[in-house]
Amino acid sequence: MKIAFIGQPNAGKSTIFNGLAGYKTVTANFPGQTVNYTISTVKLGDEVFEIVDLPGIYSLTAIDMAELESRKYILSGQADVVINVIDASTLSRSLELTLQLAELQVPMVICLNMMDEARRKGIEINKEKLSQIFGVPVIETVANKGIGLDKIFSSAKEAYYKKLIPKIQLFHKDIEEKIEEIEKMMPTELVKNIPGRYISLKLLEGDQEIFKEIRNYPEFFNKIKQIREEIKKTHGRHTDSVISSERHALTMNIFEEVAKVGEPSKSFREKVDDILTNKYFGYPLLLIIVFGIFFIVFEIGRIVEDPLVGIFDSMIEKLPGFLENDSLIFFIFKGLLEGFSGGLGVAIPYLIPFFIGLTILEDIGYLPRMAFLMDTIMHRIGLHGKSILPFVISYGCNVPGVMGTRILESPRDRFITAALSVFIPCAARSTIIFGLVGAYIGGLAAAGLYIFNICIVMILGGILTRFIPEITPGLIMEIPPLRIPTLKNIFLKTWLRLKDFMLVAWPLLVISSIILSLLEYFKMDTILNKIFSPIVSWMLGLPEETGITLVFGILRKELSMIMLFQAMHTTQLNTVMTNVQLIVFTIFTLFYIPCVGTMGVLLRELGARKMILITVLTITVALILSVLSRIILSLII
Amino acid sequence: MKTLLDIENGKKIKILKISGGKGIRHHLQCLGIHVGDIAVLKKSSFLGGPVLLEVNGYDLALGKGVASKIEVEEIE
Repeated sequence: MKIAFIGQPNAGKSTIFNGLAGYKTVTANFPGQTVNYTISTVKLGDEVFEIVDLPGIYSLTAIDMAELESRKYILSGQADVVINVIDASTLSRSLELTLQLAELQVPMVICLNMMDEARRKGIEINKEKLSQIFGVPVIETVANKGIGLDKIFSSAKEAYYKKLIPKIQLFHKDIEEKIEEIEKMMPTELVKNIPGRYISLKLLEGDQEIFKEIRNYPEFFNKIKQIREEIKKTHGRHTDSVISSERHALTMNIFEEVAKVGEPSKSFREKVDDILTNKYFGYPLLLIIVFGIFFIVFEIGRIVEDPLVGIFDSMIEKLPGFLENDSLIFFIFKGLLEGFSGGLGVAIPYLIPFFIGLTILEDIGYLPRMAFLMDTIMHRIGLHGKSILPFVISYGCNVPGVMGTRILESPRDRFITAALSVFIPCAARSTIIFGLVGAYIGGLAAAGLYIFNICIVMILGGILTRFIPEITPGLIMEIPPLRIPTLKNIFLKTWLRLKDFMLVAWPLLVISSIILSLLEYFKMDTILNKIFSPIVSWMLGLPEETGITLVFGILRKELSMIMLFQAMHTTQLNTVMTNVQLIVFTIFTLFYIPCVGTMGVLLRELGARKMILITVLTITVALILSVLSRIILSLII
Repeated sequence: MKTLLDIENGKKIKILKISGGKGIRHHLQCLGIHVGDIAVLKKSSFLGGPVLLEVNGYDLALGKGVASKIEVEEIE
């Protein structure tokens, strides 16, 4: 049995999904977290359930890419049962989607999630009444605490076997007559397995996708246009507004029938919320929070890094005692140890605190507030507040950052945001900033590089916008209530993200490290270095040996630094490189070519042409900035 | 005619008209914002920034451009 979870953004679908399937998708407290769907199978007794977690949709008229994805899945008719997950604290609005889902005539269960929050808002819901109105099972859950999840499969089974198809709620008579009229005229090929009523309504609403399909039936097409005109004349408004108002009126009626709204408990949370987005306190707090996190990550990372790297270093030093120096096996072991050391010693000490910090910010719901605060600034670079979300995520990793651009409405915003996201130093590049500039020159210089990076991103944004101007519709975003993150979720999410690093990145690190060792053994590294020396030595003024590390950096950015230690044969880089060289190296790795993983996701999201365009842009920017900083820094220092 | 940008913090308003293209209209409709809805302006625009609107029990951030297209009247 295939069960699809459908609901408005931030209703808790993924939290329920994770509760049922074990921790598989990343959840957060901001609308639009799930951008592609996850499927999982759960075995219960001898029954196998396939559950699908779809991106949130506000309505079946899709606005952004993620929503379109959901709608396509629902209309494909693959789901046996639909579970409509509703944030009970926003019941009246959520019911608008429920009404539209009902028109699809698939067995359904209504799941009222976040019941605790609804009670806090003073909303009491009569679920028997709601069940009666739609004729489908209604269950209550508090997903983040795991309450009520056990009822999901049993009610899904009930809906499926008893064929509990939701009852259609009727509009006013004149609209119903028009719907009937359209249904009667509809070409039979058009209907397939989708109910005619649904198509008729979408046509009245002016849905572009469906309009495209009926272009081939000119007679029908003209008739629809005529009916839309008639409605516009009699109601004095656009037909889509009329339908939307009708639906709104229906939901308000249902809401009044099933819910009682009492006095909300004016909470501590609202006061905190008020300060977080306050026009005077909001910005200083934003700075404190962001810098606080980087400071903590840097401090914790450094405390853990030194002893860990020390252990591996002493092991490598002892190696000649066991194995013959300069033998092939010696080089393999050395590469292996250096690869392990790079992952465990250098990356993980910074990654764990960063992921925890990011998770806490996400789960509390600070990110949408950040988007609110940053809207004005983002407008300066031709984007709007929502683009800040992919940027923030990119500080963790560019891959989910680029995927996160799907929450943006226009393709142009998606392209610019994705192109800029790639320039944001991900955790891997942060380890380079911390490990090279932070460790050898100081924390202030490292912080300076972050600010330098932000300035460059903003300038690039300004330039890109000039090339592709377009008036964006501007910020329209729901700000979810602040929530207290659960320890379990923070732990599991950090683990999920870390697992990704350990399974994908770490092996790559170890293998590349061994390859570098082998190249060294066969004296191939000098040949590669010679090839790149015009750029590396002549343009950037770096030691020739760094050439190969920059090549490997394309696989994983932190490889550049880890291999730098290996290539320069020391863990004390300041003895072989000047401060200027360290900074130039860091700036180059910060900006040049996104790693293979990021290129892959750019290819998937934007296509080959734009991926290549962005890659060329990064190399150009990296070269210009490195040369400039080399010249300027040499003059100053 | 007043728009959302002309309203002070904490005032209760009624939405009279949503001008602007089909895109904005659709988007707002999907989020459950309709002509005739009663809302509270929680945060007014500051330095050309967005406004924060409480409507039907949830908060919504609207950029300056969008806010200027929503005509409203103060009530009470």
